[in-house]
Amino acid sequence: MTGLLNNVAAALAPSGSACDRDAIDRGCITCGDVAIPLSVLRVDGERGLALCKDDDGNSETVEIELVAPVAPGDRLLVHAGTAIARLSEESPV
Amino acid sequence: MKHVDEFRDPALGRVLAGEILGLVEAGRHYKFMEVCGGHTHSIYKYGIDDLLPANVELVHGPGCPVCVIPMGRVDDAIALAHEDNVIFTCFGDMLRVPGSEGSLLDAKAEGADIRMVYSPLDALRIAKSNPERDVIFMAIGFETTAPSTALTLRRAKSEGVKNFFCMCNHVTIVPPLRALLDSPDLRLDGFIGPGHVSTVVGVRPFEFIPREYGKPIAVAGFEPLDVLHAIHMILTQLKEGRCEVENQYARVVPYEGNPRALEVMAEVFELRPHFEWRGMGFISQSGLKLSKAYADLDAELRYAVPGVRVADPKACQCGEVLKGVIKPWECKVFGSGCTPERPIGTCMVSSEGACAAYYNYGRFAREREVV
Repeated sequence: MTGLLNNVAAALAPSGSACDRDAIDRGCITCGDVAIPLSVLRVDGERGLALCKDDDGNSETVEIELVAPVAPGDRLLVHAGTAIARLSEESPV
Repeated sequence: MKHVDEFRDPALGRVLAGEILGLVEAGRHYKFMEVCGGHTHSIYKYGIDDLLPANVELVHGPGCPVCVIPMGRVDDAIALAHEDNVIFTCFGDMLRVPGSEGSLLDAKAEGADIRMVYSPLDALRIAKSNPERDVIFMAIGFETTAPSTALTLRRAKSEGVKNFFCMCNHVTIVPPLRALLDSPDLRLDGFIGPGHVSTVVGVRPFEFIPREYGKPIAVAGFEPLDVLHAIHMILTQLKEGRCEVENQYARVVPYEGNPRALEVMAEVFELRPHFEWRGMGFISQSGLKLSKAYADLDAELRYAVPGVRVADPKACQCGEVLKGVIKPWECKVFGSGCTPERPIGTCMVSSEGACAAYYNYGRFAREREVV
């Protein structure tokens, strides 16, 4: 039991250097079931697109039709260039 | 990072791991399948399997879109890429998937104009910048990705883009789950349901699992606490004699999914009668093709594709891995003949593939165990 609990902290904290991890950590964001949270910077409502950025500051153009209307500051779950869900402000564990 | 850091809290992880230990019955072996490759990736990345009691086993399911593409479809893609005047676009992981005579990356080295894109929208952008050439987008993925392809095709149609085509390999999650549940090879006690597929399709499509097969399922997020929490929910159901679909990922997944996404998918796609899955054979009504209204954008109608069924290499046991019958390291070529740098099978290609995830994270722990 103690061993198990000791393992928890170690296992929950990813090890290895940041650069090693970078490529692997991203997972297969383009085609897998993984999506990433992005924040809306600017909205082009007419074209159904928004400029969004991730928490590292990288930006990309995102289809917003499935979650429209959106406003700057909104948090979206984005997969393959398309926002598939909104993230609510509260985050219940 | 908001919405992420809270779900990597080691203190809460300790509490959950302790509670999970209290829920298992000694002498009973529990076998849960995580359907989605994203979960497989998280499980190995965070060492979640090391936190579980020895009698709770996680089996990796068929939910990695790259891994389930059969060799024949890769050959079809390469044939399309070699057509005159074609720019062939696909997601990065797909480039390295081996066909019977090499991968798309090999075809690119031979001179085919193959470009990696991050989204279907990128592919459409390439089409608009190259109006004199045909641009084909190789669409792969489950219901998470299909809406993105559908929206882009609708955009291409409405903007009158005439040189954009789609080779559709989208698949749906329920038919392979049914095939697995009907398989005599595998006895499962419960499922960790796919989080982001459910964002689109909702929770309802999984209700057949408890209703018809008597197995509990918890739709889960992808952070370590999400996965532990889902395991906790399934074990609690088993302990209390309940059997239902629970939504661990309610902060993102609505019960009904995303109706607008389902609507655009219904407009752009229709079910194929059969689609071949690597290692699982043909599964009825498990794949999508472009609907009649979008037939003009169908690359397989514009160009002839070989459409030949190619058997998997004999050494490769991706099929057994995808069905959860063997663990990645039990494959004869794992880590020797088959590595992420030179994959033989698809499960070693995508970082969501069980073999690649295990190769990248888990094998070191196992080496320690063996030594």
